[in-house]
Amino acid sequence: MHELHYTYGLIDEDSKREVRRALLKAVALPGHQVPFASRDLPIARGWGTGGLQITLALLAPEDILKVIDQGDDESVNAVNLRRLIAQTTGVALTAVTADATVIQTRHRIPEERLRADQILVLQVPMVDPLRWVEPNLERATVMHGEADYGRMWVYMYESVIRAGDLRIATQYPVIVADRYLMDTTPIPRWDVPKLHQADALFLFGAGREKRIYAVPPHTSVAPLEFEDVPFRVEYTPGQCCARCGCGDSFLTSHAVSGADGATRWVTTCSDTSFCAARQAVS
Amino acid sequence: MNHAPSWVLRVDGLTRRFGAGCPRCAASVGPAHERSQCPWCATVHACTAASFTLARGEVLGIVGESGSGKSTLLQMLNLTSPADAGALWYREPADPTAPPVDLLRLDRYAMRQFRNDRLGIVHQRPELGLEMRFSVGGNVAEKLLLARWRNVGAIRERAAGLMHQTELPVERIDDAPPTFSGGMLQRVQIARALASRPALLLLDEVTSGLDLSVQARVLDLIRRIQWEQQVTMVLVSHDLGVIKQLARRTIVMKHGHIVEAGLTDQILEDPQHPYTQLLVSSAL
Repeated sequence: MHELHYTYGLIDEDSKREVRRALLKAVALPGHQVPFASRDLPIARGWGTGGLQITLALLAPEDILKVIDQGDDESVNAVNLRRLIAQTTGVALTAVTADATVIQTRHRIPEERLRADQILVLQVPMVDPLRWVEPNLERATVMHGEADYGRMWVYMYESVIRAGDLRIATQYPVIVADRYLMDTTPIPRWDVPKLHQADALFLFGAGREKRIYAVPPHTSVAPLEFEDVPFRVEYTPGQCCARCGCGDSFLTSHAVSGADGATRWVTTCSDTSFCAARQAVS
Repeated sequence: MNHAPSWVLRVDGLTRRFGAGCPRCAASVGPAHERSQCPWCATVHACTAASFTLARGEVLGIVGESGSGKSTLLQMLNLTSPADAGALWYREPADPTAPPVDLLRLDRYAMRQFRNDRLGIVHQRPELGLEMRFSVGGNVAEKLLLARWRNVGAIRERAAGLMHQTELPVERIDDAPPTFSGGMLQRVQIARALASRPALLLLDEVTSGLDLSVQARVLDLIRRIQWEQQVTMVLVSHDLGVIKQLARRTIVMKHGHIVEAGLTDQILEDPQHPYTQLLVSSAL
């Protein structure tokens, strides 16, 4: 059996440099989609290749990495990505949000407020919120260039007229730095306010669509809303985590089998490390 | 005595061509040569050196046969087609002392803002001016949302008011445009165009394809709006009857050139250019 040797961070240095250049441009133009030459990776496109390329381009040997999927450190996607990154970089791994310097995530932002020395890398399945109203990419690019977001606002208006409320569960559209319309990725509405004036840097990578965008620290991120129909996060009064008792975190429901073999639904924190820390304290 | 000119829009030598052009173009195209396409380089000279001024509250008619350049000129006025030469001076009617702005020198972002805030357009084909997936109310609301209206109740109230003003059934505010008739869709376009209280309303063959009774209602509506709101309008049509009913002044275009301009009555009663004479005699 022969030993496998990898380039540090799996992808070649030129590619990592190109990703870092795209990241610099994305940070300079908050919310603007920057194209990059998304490389082939040993995982399928659509499984986090955009986020993975950003993480691999960023990681230094002294970094501490956390990878989560839907808030869970132990989901299949998170475990596999973490294993791949650890094997090719040798960086230290953690499940504790506060200990991590780089956090790669899919569909959630950790519950704890991130610090200025932390970077959150989000995996992005669909880059452009304008796709809901303008499927032609060329025209959508012009619309972004001219800040022509009237049709997006009509989409929101129609949502209110049809459903009586802003019925968008995930991928809630936001205006970044009073300029660009941005897709927040399928994070729940609960996480959207965490992007506004945050201390940490948020990087978004879409491997399939070959785009990178960013929300730098202390940047305005405003969800599309109306004066009489404001943006609201998910909240069910009285509902709390069955494990740690927290009533102020994003909760998920899942089925568990009881001792009697019957299946029942329990509600727990989506962020597993946050939940574990609370359980340890109590 | 105040000698300040009262114009809102001054068009200076507006030119648009499709193709690179060649040294022989100038001597090969135009009304005298009965063509707008250069036989040497195939460049189409869609509009050449168009110049006119437009006073506040005035209705200017543009007539000409198909391919004469009137729609190209209208697209340049709407800032949706770039001009190869010329200037498009605009002075805010609400502030006559403000210096005029050449709209063609604005960057694309500012151009878009100007188009949203100060221009309204009604297209010949409703599908060009309306988003068929959205409701009629949503289509009217777009202009208000672009003007930063952010209150659904107020937007809806204004949209309903505009529908009432344009004689549309308010109870159908949430219906989709494909369920409306052709004449109603033109009125939806007019309601949408008026939503932001534009300084300039551009009308491109608004009554083409409508039957005579519907055409008369749409024309009555435009005339009433013009009279009530003193909106400055540019009306493109190949129908001299429409021009006669609405426009105070008219320019006649042929092969991309303005061949005659003047008061509408004067042009219709005493046409000077042979092409205008032909146009008038054909209409009669």
